[in-house]
Amino acid sequence: MNRIEKRMNELKSNNEKAFVTYYTAGLPDMETTRKIIDAQQGVTDVIELGIPFSDPTADGPVIQQASYEAIQGGASLKKTFILMDDIRKSGNEQPIVFMMYYNTIVNYGLDAFVGKCRETGVDGLIVPDLPIEEQEAIREALKGDDSTILIELVSPVSKKRIPEILKGARGFVYCVSSMGVTGQAADFHKEVVSYLSEVKSQSPVPVMMGFGIREAADVKPMKDIIDGAIVGSHFINIMRENNFDPNAAKEYVTKFKKELNGV
Amino acid sequence: MNKKAYYGEYGGQFVAESLMNSLNEIDEAFEAAIKDPEFIKEYHYYLRQYVGRETPLYLAGRLSEKYGTKIYLKREDLNHTGAHKINNVLGQILLARRMGKTKVIAETGAGQHGVATATGAALFNMECTVYMGKEDVERQALNVMRMEMLGAKVVSVESGSNTLKDATNEAIRTWAKTAEDTFYIIGSAIGPYPYPKMVKEFQACISREAKKQHLEAEGRLPDVVMACVGGGSNSIGMFADFIDDKEVELIGVEAAGKGIDTDEHAASMAKGRPGVLHGTRSYLLQDDDGNIQLAHSISAGLDYPGVGPEHAYLHDSGRAKYVPITDEEAMDALMELTQMEGIIPAIESAHAMAYAFKKAKEMTKDQSMIVCLSGRGDKDVNTIAAYLRGEGYLN
Repeated sequence: MNRIEKRMNELKSNNEKAFVTYYTAGLPDMETTRKIIDAQQGVTDVIELGIPFSDPTADGPVIQQASYEAIQGGASLKKTFILMDDIRKSGNEQPIVFMMYYNTIVNYGLDAFVGKCRETGVDGLIVPDLPIEEQEAIREALKGDDSTILIELVSPVSKKRIPEILKGARGFVYCVSSMGVTGQAADFHKEVVSYLSEVKSQSPVPVMMGFGIREAADVKPMKDIIDGAIVGSHFINIMRENNFDPNAAKEYVTKFKKELNGV
Repeated sequence: MNKKAYYGEYGGQFVAESLMNSLNEIDEAFEAAIKDPEFIKEYHYYLRQYVGRETPLYLAGRLSEKYGTKIYLKREDLNHTGAHKINNVLGQILLARRMGKTKVIAETGAGQHGVATATGAALFNMECTVYMGKEDVERQALNVMRMEMLGAKVVSVESGSNTLKDATNEAIRTWAKTAEDTFYIIGSAIGPYPYPKMVKEFQACISREAKKQHLEAEGRLPDVVMACVGGGSNSIGMFADFIDDKEVELIGVEAAGKGIDTDEHAASMAKGRPGVLHGTRSYLLQDDDGNIQLAHSISAGLDYPGVGPEHAYLHDSGRAKYVPITDEEAMDALMELTQMEGIIPAIESAHAMAYAFKKAKEMTKDQSMIVCLSGRGDKDVNTIAAYLRGEGYLN
């Protein structure tokens, strides 16, 4: 079974909410990235690993800057596959998804990319510039093997598109909390609660909320609707403030996960 | 897959889910508008009375004599605001108004599309924000001043390379945040569907007029039609009405910067590979990891690492040919046109002129070509002066 789906099932039977972090691969280098991932073992339910791209149009300033620095430091998809290989070989079984822009996949070659994801244990893909209209090719390449799945995104204005999006949803559905880009400090869409309820009522998979979340308290008003929360820009800020210390990562995710589950 | 969004394997709608509803709304509104005689009437009214269309098709006598073939210039430089950009802006802004939007945003490189958008926004009393790379803000101070005089807010974008590509990224981000009340006016033949189709539709007046004018003057179609290509708006407008006339040779001229064998050029057809940027699949300058490379050209308007998807299709199908012209060749052509015909062209348009002079050598005196003179060179005087002083260029 796919690692993400397995984890989601476990959470469901324990009646627990999921916690997902995003981190840019190669910030400031791959070795540190690996330590930050390893430090979250047993706490963070899914790790989103951002593959840096030169033109991240779905990202706000924090992830733009992180991507820029990672690329300057030599980060790439190829090197992230090597990192994945090392992580899996060491026995780390945390669900990990790649968050990446479509050109990085096209450039690698669709089939070669999917093959490499399966080989190195990439459990899922989040591609923010690939709406359902453009997913045919990647779905075709992903067919026939559950080890890598495509994660769907929903936005506050998706409305009548929601059923169509959820039709192909696997693992979890990523609900964008606001219009626009990542990292707009808890400035959620004005209809966020009704929008999340609408998605939740129709979704066959767990509903995660992301964009602009910093603390567990930020999602308190929606905690009875959502199945989990995703933190990206703020997690990168915390890492920077703590000089990329893996212990700070562990401390932050442990606290968030506890508070999210009302412990 | 939305098949109508594609030109062969190029095009599409590679944008965030947040923008899909907006694109669908624009598509519906656009298709309805161009079938509505009232909309077309109003658009043509502004093209005639405000922009000053139709623009002349001028037979460049001394150049024709020198190069031994008939060289016609489609004088888009005579449009209000100095270039073809206003044709498209008026079409899109009338559409935005029809859709009830009160705010418009735009990206700009050299500032021509920004000035045209600010102009349209002033004309229709809309709030206008233009995104411009920090580098371009500094080197195009005159156009920044014009936009501000027209009431637009110019946002200096500091991310990535601080140029057009990054300004476009920022405009897309802002649009994703504000799409509920804001219309994004894209100036090039790029972006997610229906933008490439809209830009072509609103620039097609160039070829419609030129075809009629050439028929009146020569009683036949031209042998060759030529235009410069950055993102590809003036060229797709210049090609549009000739695409089905297979006997007319279509040539797009890309900016080769310091040469296509250097790292400093903007020749995405000659040196790029298909990829996805700014919502569309087309030829792109990119590195081994699929990161977008910086384009270089003495002309800020051609300084873009991609090209419109229909051009990619015309290229692959062989219907149009795309050729590179270096900075030096373009500047020589600029001076020659200036001194022989008394027309100072934009450096962008000078690229097309440079190839016209090369092409003329294979043509006879009974044949003819139309070159799209997409803009005037006033905006480039500082760049030209620096180049002539041997200081290289400001870009």
